[in-house]
Amino acid sequence: MIDLQEMILEKDRLIPLLRKLKKESRLIAPVTNKHGDTLLSEINNIDRDTIDLDRQPQNSLKSFFLPQQEILAHYSVDTTGYNFTAPEAAKETIYFGVRSCDLTALLYMDLIFSKPAKDASYYDRRNRSVIITLGCNDPFANCFCEATNSGPYLDYGYDLQFIDLGSSYYVAAGRRKGADLLNKWDYFFRTVEEEDQKIRYQLFLEARGRFNRNIQVSHACHKLQEEEVAETIWEKLAGRCYDCGGCAYVCPTCTCFSVDDMAIDDSHGTRIRSWDACTSSGFTRMAGNHNPTDRTRHALKQRFLHKLKYDYQKHGKASCTGCGRCVDICFGGVDITTFIEMFTRDAS
Amino acid sequence: MQNVMTICNYCGCGCGVYLCVDNNRVVGSYPSRNHPISRGNLCSKGWHLHQFIHSRNRLREPLLRKNGELLPVSWDEALDVTADALHKSRERSGPDSIGVLASAKCSNEENYLLQKFTRAGLGTNNIDHCARL
Amino acid sequence: MTNSIEELGSADVLLVTGSNTTETHPQIGRNILEAVDGGAKLIVIDPRRTDLAKEAHIHLNLRPGTDIALINCMMRIILDEDLADDLFISMRTENFIPLRDYLHRLDLDELSATTGIELKKIHEAACIYARSSKSVICYCLGVTQHSCGTDNVQAVANLAMLTGNVEKKHSGVDPLRGQNNVQGACDMAALPAVLPGYQAITDSAIRDRFQAVWKREIPAVPGLSLTEMTHSGKDGAIRAMFIMGENPLISDPHLSRVQETFENLDFLAVSDIFLTETAQHAHVVFPAASFAEKRGTITNSERRVQLCRQAIPPIANCRPDSEIIMELGKRLDCPGMDFESSDEIMEEISLLTPIYGGMHYDRLEQSHGLQWPCWNRDHEGTEFLHKYYFTRGKGQFTITRHQEPAERPDRTYPYTLVTGRGSYHHYHTATMTRNSKRLVREYPEALLEINAQDAKTLQLQDGEKVELLSRRGKVRITITITDRVQPGTVFSSFHFFEVPINQLTTSVMDPKSKCPEFKVCSVNLQKVKHD
Repeated sequence: MIDLQEMILEKDRLIPLLRKLKKESRLIAPVTNKHGDTLLSEINNIDRDTIDLDRQPQNSLKSFFLPQQEILAHYSVDTTGYNFTAPEAAKETIYFGVRSCDLTALLYMDLIFSKPAKDASYYDRRNRSVIITLGCNDPFANCFCEATNSGPYLDYGYDLQFIDLGSSYYVAAGRRKGADLLNKWDYFFRTVEEEDQKIRYQLFLEARGRFNRNIQVSHACHKLQEEEVAETIWEKLAGRCYDCGGCAYVCPTCTCFSVDDMAIDDSHGTRIRSWDACTSSGFTRMAGNHNPTDRTRHALKQRFLHKLKYDYQKHGKASCTGCGRCVDICFGGVDITTFIEMFTRDAS
Repeated sequence: MQNVMTICNYCGCGCGVYLCVDNNRVVGSYPSRNHPISRGNLCSKGWHLHQFIHSRNRLREPLLRKNGELLPVSWDEALDVTADALHKSRERSGPDSIGVLASAKCSNEENYLLQKFTRAGLGTNNIDHCARL
Repeated sequence: MTNSIEELGSADVLLVTGSNTTETHPQIGRNILEAVDGGAKLIVIDPRRTDLAKEAHIHLNLRPGTDIALINCMMRIILDEDLADDLFISMRTENFIPLRDYLHRLDLDELSATTGIELKKIHEAACIYARSSKSVICYCLGVTQHSCGTDNVQAVANLAMLTGNVEKKHSGVDPLRGQNNVQGACDMAALPAVLPGYQAITDSAIRDRFQAVWKREIPAVPGLSLTEMTHSGKDGAIRAMFIMGENPLISDPHLSRVQETFENLDFLAVSDIFLTETAQHAHVVFPAASFAEKRGTITNSERRVQLCRQAIPPIANCRPDSEIIMELGKRLDCPGMDFESSDEIMEEISLLTPIYGGMHYDRLEQSHGLQWPCWNRDHEGTEFLHKYYFTRGKGQFTITRHQEPAERPDRTYPYTLVTGRGSYHHYHTATMTRNSKRLVREYPEALLEINAQDAKTLQLQDGEKVELLSRRGKVRITITITDRVQPGTVFSSFHFFEVPINQLTTSVMDPKSKCPEFKVCSVNLQKVKHD
């Protein structure tokens, strides 16, 4: 068993392996569609869908583990009150080509949805999942996972981690489920040789030097423990936040949600959970119209402090994983990297 | 789960948006990153584009006013009554007694069809839409 | 728009007038802010201090209805400073001399007093705009929804031509189109005086071309405009109506007149996805399929024709509007009502509409759309308009004179009400957005913006309900105290049926465009007395 923890897969064997995996479970992988977008999508036809490992998928694992809108329960109402029935159970799913930042985000969500009690819907999907990551040799334009300690390669958390060595993949098992897969399909793999180790190490060093952006995440985290952010910074950011919620929605670790009952008719309906954003004023507004958050001055305060200050205090680590998805999409140009740059530059 | 690329139904910017479809229900809206307008993000209306589609308040059946009340009827009945009423108005007061409003929310094809129907079918140029509102 | 949206991001100067762009055209707002962050200068003309106005280098907060005076003032300054583009004027325009002479006769101090903006600020804005050769003007309904809307647009065009800021990349005059397919509905001639592609209905050669395909005679006399129909009245010319996906009982001005018309029609049929206020008055209501349940193209503000794909089959017993129209067509013996798909309809459109000549579904399927004019299959579409020549040949200068709005504040109605799209979270008559839970939560009720100074005079508290009255009606509305509006001006939207703000607005409209004067009407506010 031990010797199966790390293996080499020649690239020619990738599709044959995935074909086998797909027979036994649902397979999700990054696919570039005809509109030029790369999305983590369900593979329906392994020969037709273009699995694209060169581009960052636009959506993260959050779209699957905490979907934009999911049914928590079906309900009916009669004279005795509400009767709830659980939704369909999740399917066994293998996620292939997941980036290090996104798995790190999933590990964070594991924590969020485990307390105080395990979230049934989330863990139903999580327990039936196998995560196969792909280390990043060439970080994407807006990435900064090295600064958040969540890449470009991972040391733990994955079921399997693939590293692209050029003509083959260096495959390491990190958890039981990954090792089981290696065992089961051992005939596709060969053993690791010294040369493979050398290439892997070299690629890792090079990848770390390839980041376009140098974001001072840990400096910001430390500084936030010691001092308050100037009001002028919050006001500047708030003035440029147009309340789209996009940063929270594309973020792999933003887990704000709301629960609504959607009536089908007078006696039936579904209880739905959907993405929400702490940047929205309605999220914190209470009955009687009182709102503890003044959007016009503090629209982004909770979001940034949660990620860089409170989570750092609680878990010893920021809950931004440096995936860069929120960078460049903000209508007002005020993403988390803008904040970190403003704050770390400010008076220090 | 399937992502269907379409164009946002709200403003004139025309964002590329994926509708996430599960079991014939639209359960999400996600921006296209490669699309020249949306470039990876939507406004709050766009991000919640899927929310009204399955609203309980959607009209589900053709309705006909009978004794002052709108009641469900078959498609044929609703269409026959409408065609008949338009025909009668044209006979009685001329084609220009009919007014048609098209929609800035409908497709080019539908607007084309409706003005063709108005001009060639009803015989009037009384067609307009809310372009100035 | 003459330019593409993406071009705005690289302009050097952006003059935005009558547009709350970050709220109503968020992606265009995004491009404008990107330009500003890249060093471009932003000038905003708006009586309200919108979010975009806060970003502006110069905010010209004019008195509502004084756009022409302001633009004339800017043009006169440009002449005085010798910043006009003489070469462009002589090569590409005509009728400049009368405009020049007219501008020279104007008194700058008087113009500045009319607009309520100090001359120094106007001077600075005029020079910034004229000194750059990559200056873009974006305008929206704040310019057109006036009794002098056509002249307002002409004034803006004069300004652009005077400085040669048209006909090239990153410079032009861009009307921002509101609805997702308002551009397309116009292109497709859902208008009373033209055939698809803006071909005059009065031109017999053009009618012949359509008649050859439609196999029917087309009436040669232009029809009635929307408000002429909805305001036709109790014994008006309009006796029966068919309305597809519109809600005039909320969106049209002077609602009591619309109501009177609708209550007295012999017949009203409405096709919609919700039972709108208008549908509630109908004799027949057709349940239409929503955009997600059908296939078809729409045209955005930059003339980009894009394909909307069907995501799900029509829900319940709904049908696409195209099917409803064809079924009615067949029943009324209208030929050519047997299209099998929207693809086939587009084949007829491209045959008859030169600017859509190259719009083919296979091309639209493979791209993010094509911008018209797109003459044929080999044509790649048009990024910006008026390269080499204007549509009519040479650009024509026309003198525009300031005229006061139809209603001016007086003792009974001392405040000016400006209406528009008032919330980022709602759209038009809000039939869709108010059926979206999250959007309702974010903006649950209609609000009237009022300046702190006026609130103090009237002894009103933030969040208090007031009665808002005009010569035509009254509504009850909650106020929000804000510096977005100037003293003397109040603002609200028409999104909420419970507060039908258009019961107040005037039915005065621009004589040429028939655009109602939504931006100026005189009102009074009264505290609601509690029992």
